[in-house]
Amino acid sequence: MYRRKSECQIVQGRLSPYIDEQLNPADKERIESHLEGCQACLGELESLRAMVKLLHRVAMVTPPRSFAVAEAAPKPQPASARSFRAFRAATAVAALLLVFTFAGDAAHLFEAGPVEERTAQQVTPAANDDTGEGVLSSEGEGYADGEVYTWPVFELELALSGVVVVLGGATAVLWQKKRRGIEKG
Amino acid sequence: MEEDEIVKRAREGDVDSFNRLVEIYQRRVYNLSLRMLGNAPAAEDATQDAFLSAFRGISRFRGGSFRAWLFRIATNACWDQLRAISRRPTTPIDDMPMELESDQPSPEDFAVRREIGEKIKKALAALPPDQRLAVILRDIEGLDYQEIARVTGSSLGTVKSRINRGRGRLRHYLERYRELFP
Repeated sequence: MYRRKSECQIVQGRLSPYIDEQLNPADKERIESHLEGCQACLGELESLRAMVKLLHRVAMVTPPRSFAVAEAAPKPQPASARSFRAFRAATAVAALLLVFTFAGDAAHLFEAGPVEERTAQQVTPAANDDTGEGVLSSEGEGYADGEVYTWPVFELELALSGVVVVLGGATAVLWQKKRRGIEKG
Repeated sequence: MEEDEIVKRAREGDVDSFNRLVEIYQRRVYNLSLRMLGNAPAAEDATQDAFLSAFRGISRFRGGSFRAWLFRIATNACWDQLRAISRRPTTPIDDMPMELESDQPSPEDFAVRREIGEKIKKALAALPPDQRLAVILRDIEGLDYQEIARVTGSSLGTVKSRINRGRGRLRHYLERYRELFP
């Protein structure tokens, strides 16, 4: 009884190479002579064959696009690299807007009154670009003098500063991700 | 033009010849990736990476079976994608159905074929990746054992064992749905 079970196990363990004709003649003969007298193993063989036949019928899918390469094949970039570039550009645009706003503010371009006289006493652009302290003080002077702003300049500067900080932060995070990706790659 | 001649020209840097090879193999590489990864966007990425790697490395191809060489690159791209997917557990489950070719002697209707396809897809996904790859290469791609050994960089014995165990698990899994099969 034990020997019979053991033989079935051996045969069933070799049915896969048997159907692919990967067995040596001796093993093949052993399997075939066992199958002649064992319905259980014959059932296993038929079941395995049916399953393999099913796999043969798995249909090929047409690729969604061509994978032809261009002359100078660019290295495919992960999504984080693409986002990094978009965020970097957005940060640059927001920072430029902020600088222009500061410069415009320093040149009193946003005020209702005439600007000719004031341009002579404006804060130097270098001072504006650094920290914005010069701008704030010039604004303070502007308000102190009772000048009327046609635009909500201070709020605009604050909002743009916030946008630059947020975008800059996101860009820095994406840059870190990209760098890690390159190190792994 | 013979494939060997196209490969020779591609090795000399002719992009058009390489793209002829892409045309010849992209369907098979994409399907191998799709069956291996079970996810269409990941399969697209793997196929793209495979052809770019092949393009950059074709000067190192030393002859023999170009298909086996390309499939080896493609399976490496699949391993990379599998690692990426495992790092992103939120990767959406692919809803692209697995279709079966119609079998003329016993034509099932479309819905039954699709249902069987889904069971096979799930059964394949449940296999350990090395067994899944061996079964896909053997039973879906139709490679012989020697070629599978070259593609996977394994011994013939390992290939036999993986196919045997993979098929065994698949059969065990699909046995529950025996009534669906012809």
